[in-house]
Amino acid sequence: MKLFELGERTAQVHDVLVTLAELAERDDARAVLLESADDPALLKPYLNRLDLVVLRFPGFRDGRGFTQARELREYLRFSGEIRAEGHILPDQAAFLRRCGVDSVVLPKDGNGDPALWEKQLRQFPVAYQRSVLPERSVGPGLRVEEVS
Amino acid sequence: MSIPVGHYQYDPIDRDFLQARIAEFEGQVQRRLDGTLSEDEFKPLRLMNGLYLQLHAYMLRVAIPYGILDSRQLRKLGEIARRYDRDYGHFTTRQNIQFNWIRLEDTPAILRELAEVDMHAIQTSGNCIRNVTADEYAGAAADELVDPRVHAEILRQWSTLHPEFTFLPRKFKIAISGSPNDRVAARFHDIGILARPGADGAPVFRIFVGGGLGRTPIIGEELFDSVREEHLLATLEAILRVYNARGRRDNIYKARIKILVQAIGVEAYREAVEAELAQMDLERYRLTPEAVAAIRSRFAVPQLEAPADADAVLAQQRRDDPLFDRWVRSNTHVHRDPGHIIATVSLKPAGGIPGDATSAQIARLADLADAYSFGEIRITHLQNVVLGHVRKDRLRDLWLGLSEVGLAEANIGLIGDIVACPGLDYCALANARSIPIAQKLGARFADTALQAEIGALRINISGCINACGHHHAGHIGLLGVDKRGEEFFQLTVGGRAENGAAIGTILGAALPEDETVDAIARLVDCYLGRRESGETFLDTLTRLGHEPFREAAYETV
Amino acid sequence: MKRPVRLEPGQKLVLTANRLLDGRTVWWCADGTWNLHIGCAALLDADEAEALLSRASEQAQRDGVVGVYDTAVQAVVPPEPVTVREKIRAHGPTVHPEFAVETEQ
Repeated sequence: MKLFELGERTAQVHDVLVTLAELAERDDARAVLLESADDPALLKPYLNRLDLVVLRFPGFRDGRGFTQARELREYLRFSGEIRAEGHILPDQAAFLRRCGVDSVVLPKDGNGDPALWEKQLRQFPVAYQRSVLPERSVGPGLRVEEVS
Repeated sequence: MSIPVGHYQYDPIDRDFLQARIAEFEGQVQRRLDGTLSEDEFKPLRLMNGLYLQLHAYMLRVAIPYGILDSRQLRKLGEIARRYDRDYGHFTTRQNIQFNWIRLEDTPAILRELAEVDMHAIQTSGNCIRNVTADEYAGAAADELVDPRVHAEILRQWSTLHPEFTFLPRKFKIAISGSPNDRVAARFHDIGILARPGADGAPVFRIFVGGGLGRTPIIGEELFDSVREEHLLATLEAILRVYNARGRRDNIYKARIKILVQAIGVEAYREAVEAELAQMDLERYRLTPEAVAAIRSRFAVPQLEAPADADAVLAQQRRDDPLFDRWVRSNTHVHRDPGHIIATVSLKPAGGIPGDATSAQIARLADLADAYSFGEIRITHLQNVVLGHVRKDRLRDLWLGLSEVGLAEANIGLIGDIVACPGLDYCALANARSIPIAQKLGARFADTALQAEIGALRINISGCINACGHHHAGHIGLLGVDKRGEEFFQLTVGGRAENGAAIGTILGAALPEDETVDAIARLVDCYLGRRESGETFLDTLTRLGHEPFREAAYETV
Repeated sequence: MKRPVRLEPGQKLVLTANRLLDGRTVWWCADGTWNLHIGCAALLDADEAEALLSRASEQAQRDGVVGVYDTAVQAVVPPEPVTVREKIRAHGPTVHPEFAVETEQ
């Protein structure tokens, strides 16, 4: 498994990755796997002990993970690592990062080339809407860029 | 360079963004060609940039945000039609233009040419927020309360490459109007927005959700009556967030927001949106007056000056020339300035292809826009072209200029003003051809005096259940269906997209293609024979009910 | 899942796709190439079509075509597709006779 870091945070290795259903019985679990249909609000009781939430994308067209990540960051104030795995494309790198995802499990095919992911992260100089990242305005209007 | 009238003027930051988007797309094409991206992966990515693979070639749909472009942009579209296509473009029901004969390998070059005039194909397809549509008379109509274009532009920007809402369950369409007379079919959109002036000078927004046509036509329901400007983006984020998380992804035909709204009810949807808003950091999403003002300042306002006798000159010309008078009656709308008038150019010549224009016609329209309407052109959701600010005393000169290139058809809002999707002549999804039926109907009712006699009657034709021709919303609607490889058409009556939106009722079993035009002619005869003084087709239909029309349609001679 | 093919008497199958680079409709020929003209298409029985279809699909990337499938034609010269859709793909849009595939430069 090759990890790619979308931002500054160093990706963690975890021993035990449990499902949402298993979380209640596994006091030792520090990492949880969310399926795209899972409601992140159910993680609320466990957030303090979680270091890592893994969002599984069943297919890259299933965009629920983007909303899950934002809910984790914006509503639940989760400050640990969020990771995306499954069928994801480098074309989604900046979207993932802007929704609060820190790292991805690189796909095993041609879409797993880290250079593609690196390039996509730097593709756009500005964005036209706020994200979960620290940002400042660029010129008049809605445009923002990340504060580095 | 002077700021164009009518739409947002890009600055260097916006232009850099477009270049980055083109570079991204070029990389995606490369990866498709070298096999790194499979067709299944590439298809959604190319669709998000407006590129379809149709029956004969790729089709590129170019965005015309809120339907407004300037003459420089229109000329560029004409050049692209000539250089990369087969010399014509097709204006769509979402105020965009599409080219039917595009090569994948040419697409990055076309996008670069478009970017030279601040145009693009971003989000003209795909399961994302599509091109935002607005009232075709925005900023010009006498009946307007709020000019919706500034907020349409804000929505365009906000929705562009939105990090959270680019992989939605299904496509998502937003329309905005600022007039009490709905000219955007607000209640047939995923989100329809009606703006009106608020107490403090800033507009407030009435928001409908869950409308749409397609396989399951549904009239949108009111979610909020009065959303304040500062909360517009937060509210939209919340609506989309609920949909992205909870919209169905197991069945493409049940994936639109309308199905979710119907499944849980509009009250539950409202509660869900309010629950999101309660958790959101509203300050982060606040649409500030400064941001609105900054975007507003990128729009130029036309300096409307007309001689005092402009109205009198026009009145005299109408008296002198009955042909011109007929065109004025059907193809113009009242402007907010008494010396000006709004002119609609019909792209529905009798027997022609609805919405098509040749590169020569496109170039001529650009010239006429420069000469008569501040270089501004609007594309309507009924596939016509509007010149929004024509001086009344110069209207006849414009009409004469249009006549020279076959664009002076006097049929706006009449039976010849047919809306049709491209249908099976081009579209990979279609079951039947839409254009030939439109051509036959157009030829059957070619006489403009007859069209005027019939009065307001809208025909909409879709070649399949996806309803791109908005057949559900047509006063008479035609839906093409496939029966064992043959084309049939199902007829509906009584649909309307304007105020009092309604979905048409199916009259009965689908008719073979070669019987359809006669059946519609009988519907029209039924109306003409039974109408009372001053009644439109819809009025008579409402008074008599469907039965006489059903009988007329299926009467066999 | 593959739909069962029911051919009427006098019908055969042909393989068709679109070219990746320009999107144009193409037909599979007996020499293994793809051609714009349906007149060149190889006429296949149902069982041989199945094997050839799966091979052509596997080779689609190498051959520069997209979306390979089979469709029924009347086995005349040149072969004529059975459905309106495939007739239009073979000959071009009916509303622009000047774009007919047969008479293109």
